[in-house]
Amino acid sequence: MHQRSNINAEPVLHIKGLDLSYATAHGRAAALTNISLSLAPGESLGLVGESGCGKSTLLKAIMGVMPSNAAIEGGQVIFKGADLVAGSKEAWRKARWAGISMIAQSALNALNPVRRISAQIAEAILTHKSMPKSELRARICHLFEIVGVDPERIDDYPHQFSGGMRQRVLIAMALALEPSVVLADEPTTALDVIVQDQIFNRLRALRDELDFAILLVTHDLAVVIENCDRIVVMYGGMIVETGPTREVVRAPSHPYTLGLRNALPRLGVDYEPIAIPGRPPDLVDPAPGCRFAARCPFALPVCRVVTPDLLPSTPDRAARCHRAGEMETLASLAGKVETWNRVGDLANAP
Amino acid sequence: MGRYLATRLSHVVITLFAMMTLTFFLFRLLPGDPTAMVISPALDPAAQEAMRVRFGLDRPLVEQYFVYLANLARFDFGYSFRTSGPVWDLIQGRLVNTLLLILPSMTAAYAIGAFLGAYIGWHRGSRTEAGVILVATILQSAPLFWLSMLAILFFSIKLDLFPTGHIVSPGSFPEQTWRMYLTWDFLHHLALPFMVNTLYQLCFPLLLMRSTMLSTVGEDFIELARMKGLTERQVLFRHAMPTSLLPLATTLPMILGWAVAGSVVIETIFSWPGLGLLMVEAVTQADYPLVQGAFLLIAVLTVTGTFVADMLYGMLDPRIVYR
Repeated sequence: MHQRSNINAEPVLHIKGLDLSYATAHGRAAALTNISLSLAPGESLGLVGESGCGKSTLLKAIMGVMPSNAAIEGGQVIFKGADLVAGSKEAWRKARWAGISMIAQSALNALNPVRRISAQIAEAILTHKSMPKSELRARICHLFEIVGVDPERIDDYPHQFSGGMRQRVLIAMALALEPSVVLADEPTTALDVIVQDQIFNRLRALRDELDFAILLVTHDLAVVIENCDRIVVMYGGMIVETGPTREVVRAPSHPYTLGLRNALPRLGVDYEPIAIPGRPPDLVDPAPGCRFAARCPFALPVCRVVTPDLLPSTPDRAARCHRAGEMETLASLAGKVETWNRVGDLANAP
Repeated sequence: MGRYLATRLSHVVITLFAMMTLTFFLFRLLPGDPTAMVISPALDPAAQEAMRVRFGLDRPLVEQYFVYLANLARFDFGYSFRTSGPVWDLIQGRLVNTLLLILPSMTAAYAIGAFLGAYIGWHRGSRTEAGVILVATILQSAPLFWLSMLAILFFSIKLDLFPTGHIVSPGSFPEQTWRMYLTWDFLHHLALPFMVNTLYQLCFPLLLMRSTMLSTVGEDFIELARMKGLTERQVLFRHAMPTSLLPLATTLPMILGWAVAGSVVIETIFSWPGLGLLMVEAVTQADYPLVQGAFLLIAVLTVTGTFVADMLYGMLDPRIVYR
């Protein structure tokens, strides 16, 4: 996809050293550990990782809408120069949707079933600014038009739309106040590939037109390759690798990224995707060392003792691995099933 | 919608017809000869027979039944055995008294129950929640007659705040007129049964609302409403509460039944001259026409209420399509 030129501009959203934990029955789970990332105006950043790696938690933390058992323990969420974590709750509430909006994951459940779509979009607008009724309706019609839904239907109820249309409605809602950042939490998981493609094409076109930055969360690496300038790979609540999407996918600097790449389907080749054996790490009582070590086919003794830092290799790439430097050699091994099976055997051993 | 309405209305008619038939035969199955109550056994047998003929009691039961139906079709509820006056005249005034007590009380119970239930569901895990649930559970499990008597004992006898019963001070209005409802005396008499009934009836909507809220609070659209930047109050009143009202609406017909049952108890204990008390009197005195009239009226009220609740549900939840 088109590389944006303004990536080195002042970031519109900057997250610095964010730590967040959940209170659970077994103790505090470190859902996010030292997350730092920045989003330039108009940029699209893909956030990938398996379920439970903290992707969705990060989005909720950025919005400041977290479950009651979650607590931000440190770090900053800087939006347009102001730290939302340090500021008042009211300031954060005002930044939501007007500045940073969200395309929710499940289009069916994210819309209130008993209220008209127009009312649900209108309240988002009216919470942040006053607008005469006629202008408000015109605005909602316009939003429907730009996402490709018949404006005649703004007064329909959510259940009267198909899944794909509901997702478009959610996009329309997210763009209601022309935010500078749009967070998208797996916006197409519930949809078939064709509708999925339509939605992303629309989203890309809208981004080019309206110039908002996107933080796209997904577990599908292919979606990131197709839609995002840069990629952030998360594992166990930490960022393990980051860099320009194409470079990272072509030559990963972390074994986990290598594993994710193995899961990508390839057309025309007799090819079996390779799974990463084992389970996500325990975040309540994490083992010392690298969080991926238990599932990593290339783990050294040091990996189980010392947590690696997220070290830059080039100005725009960084990886959190003791063996980042040897990754080119390891990459050839990572393409073989036997390499990963070895970990599986170890993990399953009593 | 039109077709649904027609089907639904035909159900109403069938239910009412079944109700008429049941009340007619059920009370005639009860032991005891009603004629003994109306016609003095001391009378000359020929005079007794003449009375039976006059009330139509000499004819076969089935014939009596059809006469009863034919009269009903002309809104003729018959004559009371006891007072010999038309049943409708007896019921009319009593109905007003009952509605004046039950309608405001049930409305208050539902409104307070819904709001308080929503509030404590929203503030899950708070001390207020624990306290309200405890009190509501105790109130709900206590028998209504016992609560009423406790209230009389405490507020009327001990504190002397309210009268122990009746609708107005005895003797102040020998005849029931609309003017008596406009007096402080009436409100003073209304206060205690109103409060007891409201307090008792609000427990169910309160507990139901709370448990529905608990599941609504975790819904995605609540989270999205917060993300839109709505204030907590807006999220509660625009999204969480309206959505949680649906189960409450479905239970409305059931509650109407409870309200009627409750009115019988409340009116008996507070000597409130309403339909409930009238029914108790009529049953104990085997006054068939009066019992039939009262039961039928309550059936009409309940069935109509159910019908309205059904329609209301469609208004609250647009996903419901009437076919």
